[in-house]
Amino acid sequence: MKIVVCVKHVPDTAEADVVITPDKKGIKKEGLAFGINEWDEYALEEAILTKEKYGGEVVAITIGGKDSEDTLRRCLAKGADRAVRVEDPALEGSDAYALAKALGAVIKKEIPDYDIIFTGTQASDDGFAQVGQTLAETLGIPHAALVTKVEIQDGKAKIHRELEGGLEEVLEIQLPAVLAVQTGINEPRYVSIMGIRKAKKKELKVLNLSDVGLSPDEVGEKGSLLKLEELYVPPVEKMAEILTGAPEETAARLASILDEKGLIPK
Amino acid sequence: METVEGESFGEKYDLFVCLQCGKCTGSCPLSMRSQLNPRKLVREALLLENEAVMDKDFLWDCTTCATCRLRCPRDLQPVEVIIGMRSILIEEAKVPSTVQEALESTFKNGNPWGRAPSKREEWAAELSIKKASEGAEYLYYVGCTPAYDPRVQSVAKSLVRLFDAAGVDFAILGNEEKCCGNEIRRMGEIGLFEMLMEDNIEMFENYGVERIVTTSPHCYNVFKNEYEGLKAEVFHYTQLLCDKLDEGKLKLTKELKKKVIYQDPCFLGKQNKVFEEPRKLLSSIPGVELLEYDREKMRSVCCEGGGGRMWAEATATGERTAETRVKEAAALGAEVIAVACPFCLLTFEDAVKMTGYEGKIEVKDISELLIEAIEG
Repeated sequence: MKIVVCVKHVPDTAEADVVITPDKKGIKKEGLAFGINEWDEYALEEAILTKEKYGGEVVAITIGGKDSEDTLRRCLAKGADRAVRVEDPALEGSDAYALAKALGAVIKKEIPDYDIIFTGTQASDDGFAQVGQTLAETLGIPHAALVTKVEIQDGKAKIHRELEGGLEEVLEIQLPAVLAVQTGINEPRYVSIMGIRKAKKKELKVLNLSDVGLSPDEVGEKGSLLKLEELYVPPVEKMAEILTGAPEETAARLASILDEKGLIPK
Repeated sequence: METVEGESFGEKYDLFVCLQCGKCTGSCPLSMRSQLNPRKLVREALLLENEAVMDKDFLWDCTTCATCRLRCPRDLQPVEVIIGMRSILIEEAKVPSTVQEALESTFKNGNPWGRAPSKREEWAAELSIKKASEGAEYLYYVGCTPAYDPRVQSVAKSLVRLFDAAGVDFAILGNEEKCCGNEIRRMGEIGLFEMLMEDNIEMFENYGVERIVTTSPHCYNVFKNEYEGLKAEVFHYTQLLCDKLDEGKLKLTKELKKKVIYQDPCFLGKQNKVFEEPRKLLSSIPGVELLEYDREKMRSVCCEGGGGRMWAEATATGERTAETRVKEAAALGAEVIAVACPFCLLTFEDAVKMTGYEGKIEVKDISELLIEAIEG
């Protein structure tokens, strides 16, 4: 099987203080730790597990600068056979649609005979959760998001999707398809530093837009449907009320507040 | 077996001279409660293929206290054989998930606790401490656990006040500080350890560091004994403060009427033979009556916090060694168990709770007791 996995190199902002750049279009990268997007780590593992089970090749793709090669090297060390990185100044300001076009173009150029494409359901930096589906649309193939289980059958895949309220949907999907995986679908393996060093021999190709047959107008702000106006840190609201006093008083007050707001089912 | 670097275990660790006397297993603090059997592992390393380590979950039980190494009549290193076997597991990705998280965080964040590098110096926010770039006689290498763990931050803060009181000229690396790698090497992640060592030596050299003082015996051990090419002199804080006491610069004036027992940290005591300085500091506090365990110094018993055990749930069953130690301390009438290691502090505090001695026995780092003796 020809398996593609799309990955993104993102900053870890769970705990760190995020500082907006003066142009209000991005965040300051200094002092932030970067690594593979959490969802993509599961997508990568699913790609490798699929290869281990059915044979074939895994190609990892990213769009990003030289620093994102750290993420691709980890993919190669874990079991991807080759990697492709696309970098072009024209990609600056791309939305999920433009990025999906660029990813689609790379896949058509580099792995035209793909059987399955894995992506993460979303990225932890912009949280769009759109690239997987849009990529499928640009390639004209089916897709599923929030995928929690994949079983490959002849030319098809049986997949499980996580729905609201603990429901799970089971679907049969025609291959080739884009599967945007949810965290927890598998247990991503450890890769040692020695393993990463050994994987340095594997192919990591760097392409620009013209290499994949796209014009600068098709990506970036011009090729996007969304334009980022401004990033800002939401102001701290003063909605919080801290109840003080004896537990029986605060508990009674809390109960009446919940009741006033209609939060206690009658 | 073959090491991950491709040498035979027999040759790398000189295992052919092993007598199979079993002194290593007899001295192991875990072998009574786990399948961990250093004697057997040494034999297996000679006779079996690498495949044989794959299902040995109990390899993660070893605390790397090194008692097996210190007692071997042939000067062999069973603890290193265990670390070598863990390396095989690491390369084969057969890693407990908690160990995996610690290693991945160390690679990404420079600490095994999953914390942001930009929060590393937060503990020092209200103290005015020089940065290494400003130059100082000593680099105070804080360490990951004292920097991030709310309980152990008190040790780092106490040390800053003690250094100030004793007139020590020191600086910290702040957010630039990275894991020392002592535990990383012992979890078998050799590549990551080498990377940390190279990065740290380069940083120390860039700042012209000539003397390093550490909070943790683990950082002290790795800098002193395992950092190849490190030129700086390395001290544990108990050594530096003992010198300042001798010079008359650290004055312990306030009385602390307590019966105190001292737990030798494996990486300070038996592995590096620093026994006297911590005891001298404690017994110099007016009012302190210093008690000794029956098993002290070279015979001291590990707290089970080392060798990656802070991130690995052991397969061992039964009473933890720290719990045994708390009971022994109680039987001797101790009111305070004094420690000189962040891991001992955490494992002993847990053990005091588990054994029901909360409120009866306190666990304190030596630095915290010294603060009481200078500030009251």
